[in-house]
Amino acid sequence: MISAGARERKRDGYFLRAEGITKVYADGTVAVRDVTLELRPGEIVGLLGENGAGKTTLTKILSGLLPPTRGRVVSPRGPVRFGSPREALDFGIGMVHQHFALVGTFTAVENVALSHERPLAPLALAATRAGLERLMAESGLKVPLDVPVEKLAVGEQQRVEILKVLSREVELLILDEPTSVLTPLEVDELFAFLRRLRGEGKSIVLITHKLREVGAITDRVVVLRKGALVGDVRTADVTKEELAQLMVGRAVGTRAARAVELSTEEIPAHAAHGAAAARGPGVLHVEGLTVPGDTKPVAVHDLSFDVYAGEIFGIAGVEGNGQSELVEALTGLRPALKGTATIHGRNILGLDPRQIYRLGVAHIPEDRWRLGLVLPFTLAENAILGVHRWPQFRGPFSVLRWGKIHAHVRSLIERFEIQATGPGAPARSLSGGNQQKLIVGRELAKDPAIVIASQPTRGLDVGAAQYIRDILVEMRDRGRAILLVSADLDEVLALSDRVAIMYEGRFMGVARPEELSRERIGMLMGGVRG
Amino acid sequence: MREGRLLRGVHRTHTGVHPALESVLAAILGLLVGAVIMLLWGYDPWQAYWALLKGAFGGFGYEIPTSVARGVPLILTALTFSICLRAGMFNIGAEGQMYVGAAAAVTVAYLRLPYPWHLLVGVLLAAAAGAIWSLGPALLKLTRGVSEVISTIMFNWISRFLVFYLVAYVLVDPRQAQRTVRIPFSARFPILVPGTDLSAAVYMALGFALLVYFLLWHTAVGYEVRAAGLNPTAARYGGISIRRTVLLSFALGGVAAGLAGAATTMGLPPTYAIISGLPDLMNLGFDGMAVAMVGRNHPIGILFAALFFGGLNAGGRVMQFYGENPVPLEMVRVVMGTIVLAMAIPELVRIFPALVRAGRALVRRAGPAQGEEA
Ligand SMILES: Nc1ncnc2c1ncn2[C@@H]1O[C@H](COP(=O)(O)OP(=O)(O)OP(=O)(O)O)[C@@H](O)[C@H]1O
Ligand SMILES: [Mg+2]
Repeated sequence: MISAGARERKRDGYFLRAEGITKVYADGTVAVRDVTLELRPGEIVGLLGENGAGKTTLTKILSGLLPPTRGRVVSPRGPVRFGSPREALDFGIGMVHQHFALVGTFTAVENVALSHERPLAPLALAATRAGLERLMAESGLKVPLDVPVEKLAVGEQQRVEILKVLSREVELLILDEPTSVLTPLEVDELFAFLRRLRGEGKSIVLITHKLREVGAITDRVVVLRKGALVGDVRTADVTKEELAQLMVGRAVGTRAARAVELSTEEIPAHAAHGAAAARGPGVLHVEGLTVPGDTKPVAVHDLSFDVYAGEIFGIAGVEGNGQSELVEALTGLRPALKGTATIHGRNILGLDPRQIYRLGVAHIPEDRWRLGLVLPFTLAENAILGVHRWPQFRGPFSVLRWGKIHAHVRSLIERFEIQATGPGAPARSLSGGNQQKLIVGRELAKDPAIVIASQPTRGLDVGAAQYIRDILVEMRDRGRAILLVSADLDEVLALSDRVAIMYEGRFMGVARPEELSRERIGMLMGGVRG
Repeated sequence: MREGRLLRGVHRTHTGVHPALESVLAAILGLLVGAVIMLLWGYDPWQAYWALLKGAFGGFGYEIPTSVARGVPLILTALTFSICLRAGMFNIGAEGQMYVGAAAAVTVAYLRLPYPWHLLVGVLLAAAAGAIWSLGPALLKLTRGVSEVISTIMFNWISRFLVFYLVAYVLVDPRQAQRTVRIPFSARFPILVPGTDLSAAVYMALGFALLVYFLLWHTAVGYEVRAAGLNPTAARYGGISIRRTVLLSFALGGVAAGLAGAATTMGLPPTYAIISGLPDLMNLGFDGMAVAMVGRNHPIGILFAALFFGGLNAGGRVMQFYGENPVPLEMVRVVMGTIVLAMAIPELVRIFPALVRAGRALVRRAGPAQGEEA
């Protein structure tokens, strides 16, 4: 707040102004309705709204990458309308995309260099690397520099995406859910860096579903509801309750009520206390499991643990410490080097995913674009991925029963409140959060014996995230086993009956959540046993 | 980024224009470029195109059936390409698989069977031969990781000379050394319109296209093929075996090409045989790729595209004899080439939205006069 006076003085100038922006997509969806908004230098604006409220659409329009249907974006510097992200960067607008815009086969350095150079100039890799190393130190976001980014965990890719944009001198920085797979510590460091940028007079827009982050860093909050701007207030002047109410509207619905009640950001603790007594027989048994990684020869070292029926076993840790490889090994996507893993006593190593699913496994993958969805497929087609051979969906001669499939999708749409034009809409046209709901819905609808969930609530709004957590807890109570991998520490601690903290492929400790303080977890996540 | 790169333009085009509309625009652009070239060379494009149109679709007695007949093998070879593309692979092998299918069809001449059965056996033989021939590249890909682009091209050469050999030495008609033995009446597709090339093979092509459509969009097997083509990692996550989808799509593509071979022998008067040098077969496999592209790799789109290309072929033959300064047949190939280029080169294709925008602007400018804009 020291620089508040300085910022006040800058208020009269603006960097970007959106005037009466409306966006209607080709299928008739009105994603943004008549939004007028001003972005000023030296200010961090939080952009809030439920899944599908139009946040991503609005920011894409603000950064000149998506033309609005009506209205215009003006800047004292000139027209805001670009053909490519690079043109936008040259203009001074950088956007960290919700779904990363990275070249998968390129390394972090190459990806960053790519956003700097003219298409035909030789890549200045050495200079880029030096700049990147400095930036990593300043921002606290560490990534492996020389590994193709498609081999990185989602959290690491998120860091690359952020670094790519931070490495450019931009005047306006737009971050679309940059923190969805970062741990609290990483978020703190990122925010410190953003504050410094603000001090230098940059204009920053931050999209997040975490109200605590809004309170921690923003100066002003803009709230979207169903595409319309319903609030533009100074952060200091509102409470979280008011924000939550703005987001969901006054209308009382069950979900809305839940969101409001949740607005204090405390995720209610769900651990079944005295779990050791209550839990059922072992479902997943892992012993001495060693799994190779893409970036290192061994990503998971000699890991042993059990997950019992009727318990949620949480794995916390900074992304990229072997969680992805562990999950892939358990779901048949990656061969293991050593060890055993069984479900209900049946070996699962070496089986293909279909055989593993048959043992009653549901898998919510961490990367919804790479694994979870076939984007050009419709909602209906995506809703049967992995269960398309089930007899209720597949009749004689392998003929798909579209009638039943559509009924199934409609029930998912209704149950998980997926915003879509219908079962025939392509998954690509869903907002990030709604894509996540589709995947989670599909997997949980299998009614599995064990759920292996990576970042299950990534990108979900407060209400939807809570709904998913409630379902996980309810499944636990019905005797299902749940393996929960999440960078969201609050979530892991609130839901899990036991938590393991993973660091460099090993468990630093396994404990009941109430036995661990946040400080201790922070140390364990950093590899310090203390 | 992660979507199967080959399948761009099938679901979404570079231009944002609807795929079917883009195909039509590409066709128009091809015709325009052809017209410009004709002008430059001193031909009269209007007269030439008029002749082409009349020659292609000028009547039900001869012109339209001929255009359809020319489209029949193209439907099948286009399906070969499209099935594999839907599975995420670039199969250039329709040409060779069709040769092998044709050779297999001719072997029925050595069998003695009553009418429908003889025909059926020939069709099945051709289909099987095409499928078996296509397994070569598929297995090389699965076991040794050989790119199917390379291997199918290689297999095209192998089959070409293999069939040259078969035509010259094995299947040769002892009395007519320039061609193979003729397929007996009992194994020929009946002619539908007397005096034209249009035989019942068109029903086979049509039926197969519909079958492919049904298979891809209404069965779990086809679902797996399409998922693997669009996002192999997600397909694997969904428990789909990529090996299976590769084998299946190659085999099915081979069947389509084999059937093309059957159509061009058992269904092509007047020879009902393979002539040495394969003049009736040459390039049908490659033209099929162009048809597939224009048809947006969709079985139904392919039917229309094949009719269009068949019409170009049939009409082109008329065009080259029309008027005192006739346009050579090669001009038709220039048009075809331009159409394919227009769709293949994204930068070139950016012209389309510009055209659409200009059109809209025109409409809008006309609008206020009618008091539409307020
Ligand atoms: N390409 C598209 N075609 C059609 N509709 C779309 C497209 N992209 C987004 N939409 C629709 O526009 C609306 C707003 O989407 P948007 O991605 O802006 O939401 P969001 O606020 O970013 O949500 P989230 O928090 O889930 O990321 C949604 O209803 C979505 O279904
Ligand atoms: Mg979004």
